[in-house]
Amino acid sequence: MSLVDSMSMAKPNLESRGKILARLRGRELVNCFQCMKCTSGCTALKLLELKPHEIEKLVNLGLVDELVSSDIIWTCVTCLKCVQRCPQKASPYHVIFALRNLAVEREVKAPEALMKAVSQVLETGLAEVVQKVTSRKMETCDRESLKLPKIVSPKESFQAVFLKALEEKQQ
Amino acid sequence: MSRIGVYVCHCGLNIAGVVDVEKVVEYAKGLPDVAVAKHYSYMCSEQGQRMIQDDIKTRKLDRIVIATCSPRMHEETFRKAVAKTGLNPYLVEIVNLREHVSWPHSHEPEQATEKAKVLVRMGVARARLLEPLEKRKVRVEKNVLVVGGGIAGIQASLDLANAGFRVCLVEKLPSIGGRMAQLDKTFPTLDCSACILTPKMVDVAHHSNITLLTNSEVVGVNGFVGNYEVTVLKKPRYVNEDRCVGCELCTKVCPVKVPDRFNENLSQTRAISVYSSHAVPKVAAINPEYCLRLKTKNKKVCGKCLEACEAKAIDFEQKPQNIQLRVGGIILAVGSEVFDASKAFELGYGRFPSVISNMEFERISDASGPTSGKIMSPKASQPPKNIAFIQCVGSRDRRFHEYCCRVGCMVSLKQAILAREKLGGDVNIYVCFNDLRSFGKGYEEFYRRARDLDVNFVAGVPSDVRMAADGSLYFDVFERGTNKLLEMHADLVVLANGLVPSDDIRRINELFHASRSADGFLLEAHPKLKPLECSTAGIFLAGACQAPKDIPDTVAQASGAAAKVIDLLSSGEIELEPLKAVVDEDLCSGCRICESICPFLAIEMKERKEDAEKMKAEVIEAMCQGCGLCSAACPTGAIKIQQYGRKQVLAQVDAALAEAKAKEES
Amino acid sequence: MKTAVFWGCRTLTSQYGYELSVREVLPRLGVELVDLREALCCGDPVKSVNDFAANYLAARVLALANLAGLENLLIPCNRCHFTISEAKKIVEQDEKTGQKICGLLKEEGLKYNPAVKIWHVIDFLHDLVGLDNVKKTVEKPLKGLRLASHVGCQIIRYSDLGRVDDAENPRKLDELICATGSECVDYAEKLDCCGYHLTYSHSDSALSLAGSKLKALQGLGVDGLVVSCPDCGTMFDSKQKDAATTVGAKLSLPVVYYTQLLGLALGIPQDKLGLQLNQSPVDLLLSKISA
Repeated sequence: MSLVDSMSMAKPNLESRGKILARLRGRELVNCFQCMKCTSGCTALKLLELKPHEIEKLVNLGLVDELVSSDIIWTCVTCLKCVQRCPQKASPYHVIFALRNLAVEREVKAPEALMKAVSQVLETGLAEVVQKVTSRKMETCDRESLKLPKIVSPKESFQAVFLKALEEKQQ
Repeated sequence: MSRIGVYVCHCGLNIAGVVDVEKVVEYAKGLPDVAVAKHYSYMCSEQGQRMIQDDIKTRKLDRIVIATCSPRMHEETFRKAVAKTGLNPYLVEIVNLREHVSWPHSHEPEQATEKAKVLVRMGVARARLLEPLEKRKVRVEKNVLVVGGGIAGIQASLDLANAGFRVCLVEKLPSIGGRMAQLDKTFPTLDCSACILTPKMVDVAHHSNITLLTNSEVVGVNGFVGNYEVTVLKKPRYVNEDRCVGCELCTKVCPVKVPDRFNENLSQTRAISVYSSHAVPKVAAINPEYCLRLKTKNKKVCGKCLEACEAKAIDFEQKPQNIQLRVGGIILAVGSEVFDASKAFELGYGRFPSVISNMEFERISDASGPTSGKIMSPKASQPPKNIAFIQCVGSRDRRFHEYCCRVGCMVSLKQAILAREKLGGDVNIYVCFNDLRSFGKGYEEFYRRARDLDVNFVAGVPSDVRMAADGSLYFDVFERGTNKLLEMHADLVVLANGLVPSDDIRRINELFHASRSADGFLLEAHPKLKPLECSTAGIFLAGACQAPKDIPDTVAQASGAAAKVIDLLSSGEIELEPLKAVVDEDLCSGCRICESICPFLAIEMKERKEDAEKMKAEVIEAMCQGCGLCSAACPTGAIKIQQYGRKQVLAQVDAALAEAKAKEES
Repeated sequence: MKTAVFWGCRTLTSQYGYELSVREVLPRLGVELVDLREALCCGDPVKSVNDFAANYLAARVLALANLAGLENLLIPCNRCHFTISEAKKIVEQDEKTGQKICGLLKEEGLKYNPAVKIWHVIDFLHDLVGLDNVKKTVEKPLKGLRLASHVGCQIIRYSDLGRVDDAENPRKLDELICATGSECVDYAEKLDCCGYHLTYSHSDSALSLAGSKLKALQGLGVDGLVVSCPDCGTMFDSKQKDAATTVGAKLSLPVVYYTQLLGLALGIPQDKLGLQLNQSPVDLLLSKISA
């Protein structure tokens, strides 16, 4: 493809585009005809300027690398409205998550809290740590005081297999 | 002993570029019964044909094998050429060296040439066994059935009637006129729709060659091209058409209120009413689902209309009538529906009173409509200050219909312009679009007219529409041109609903054997070269039932379909290809397998005079398409397709396997 | 009837009121809850990092349900329900990925079983137990309450995956609320998102989304908001005060889990339903229930 983004001088990277397309289950990305329906209803637009239609077009033109290193792909709320209403089933949500995976693979910065959740899963099986909660009557409560069953952590075998899964390189 | 001529065509480089035509000719010369074998660059050309014709005369050839492109291209051409010499045209065999050899095997020229030789050998084997056949002529009825009384059906009927054909126009509603009668103005000229339509409607009613059956539906179709037997059910309107003068006194006294279908249910009419202000025929009809007397089946109930009618036209005892017609051709002009936008729940249609459809806008804009032509939602108290059109509702959307509805953009442009002209300059009018398609003659100029009138075009469509407490509407649109998220407020939202196949399209499909395409509309025989006819012989298509279209295209297609019918029926007879099934009665056991298997309903069981107890199969030649299913299924070999009998087919198979057999024996 | 139950992470580690109310209410409807062998993440936060590993985790949850020998799996969390639904489709339709995942499961002696049916609390109660049966068990109809529902995003979208309710006009939670004797109102912002997922990267924006919706709900004058997902519960209930600060509004809207509401209608004492743990002013709602 012979074009250049004259603002950033970025050129299309067909390999990166191919990587994203391969991770999508279907080729609807190329069918996006820029009707704006997704962006018009995007939960993250007003606060964080996420424009799903723009991401579709940039990926389709091959201008992927800038997106992968950008902050914008981490602003999606996952409300799935764009998947539900897109008239061409181009599903920007799935494209954004493919970009996120590529970002992590390339060791570009990802939100700390997400990476923490993943290592938490590796350690304990759960993505969160058990918390104490204060009731409206100002009592501190936890699972034991509330007589809730103990949390059973996964067997030891889980960690090794989960690590294997994490190492799985996408096509 | 036959004298066979073999002619191998180069087809320019199409065949000769892959196949060594000289080698094939040499090979052909060595086959038994081949008197002459030649090759030439374009067999179908004048010179090529003359070559064959001269050889037939000078070399006394009695069978011709032409190895060339697909028979679908030029079989007819070669048959005609051969017929000119006096030789029976059905003694010609086409061998396909293009679609079957040079095109699929373009990378293997040597093997392709070997295959070509085998195919020619097979062609020669069959040619020896070909029999002379004659086309049969069948008389046709010079009457035509037109199904659907919208502008397509009306135009086709008038063209046919003016050409001297007798037409029966069947319309399911109590009046003809269809969708066009519901429109206010038409694009791109802003002609008043009723003004240009009603003269044609009146012409139809008065034409001596047209029989108009309204409130009627086709319920049975039998027969074949040129000879259809059609049953039409004339539903009772409980009003005598010959007596009713259309004074509408009955409507005034009827106590039962009924949603007015002509006004898109935006207003109410009565259980007895004339369908619309320009109805043709201008005759009242009673809706049996609402009429008190008809619903309760009690003669003592109501009857106010009966009292009021001075013409004594009301007849509660009227019964449905079955009318039999014999016609030679049928034109389907059954039109389409408008997309029901309540399926796109998020846009608020059906929930928010100020969200209306484009069809509802037409009725509102029409001076004879529910608001007497005032542009406002009938449920609102004053005209809108902000109007928004939303395009592509139900169209170009894989959740509903993938196709583009073709007219949505032009309709909204028209309605935006009408709104501007009626409401003045203070009103804000927006059209939210994806692509704006104004493709036809005068259409782009019409688009400019809208922009000149300060109609604002917003490049983007909203995700959903919401309603505020006061009933006004608001929605967000991301606009491509400004790259801004626009928060839009409107007191009237008009949805550009697309055209969809009519509710009874499946019934039409089955009744007339008219196939549908993937989008649900009726399927034309060829999208480019045969857009006016079905693959079923004798059935033609006109208007939106084949695909969404505007009035200019509808009228053109309707006139075209009429011309096709005239072409079919004008000579009073049609010729049938003889390559049909034929039954050897001596072998027929009457098992009926062929009758049950025939997809064209072309086989009947008939009693034989000699043996009244046994039924034998008989082929209805005009319906038979020569597909061969019966022949393959017949356990006794009694039924066969002309030129494709067991003898001929097996001879080809033997020729195909000749080399393998020789190897085996050696 | 018996069902396996998968709690996910948030319910087990902080939204105890939801867990308490589900454990109390379902047996009253004749449902025996069977916990899976171990607590596990469904893979939701892992999706952003490695889609394959996320699907593996979700498939592992289904394999654990299979291990328990149960055909029904009840999932009280919206995000878990979505993650596991998508993973189910992928394992069953993407041969290559499915084989790899089954291979990993095998290493732990686990097996994936496509016969395991996935349920959320809403469709489990509305469709499997049956709305009429739910109505029948109500002992103390909550008359006088005017409530609004927040069904959330990931159990109604996207329709092609086969979800718990209609994406544009979800009615099941509303009907379940009405079954308790309360009134349930519609509102323009009904399908708006609580913003939970943004807490990983843009917590202020997350609070802003929750706060805007709460503000709109408060303007409706309803007695309370009913949720059925621990993430929505976290945003609207646990973080209501923070959300109020973020949008600069005074918010005082009671927020309860559906199972807490149903529990009240079944006559179960408040403490058993964990209502004391709700951070929103639930007492305002409780006082409105006519005796």
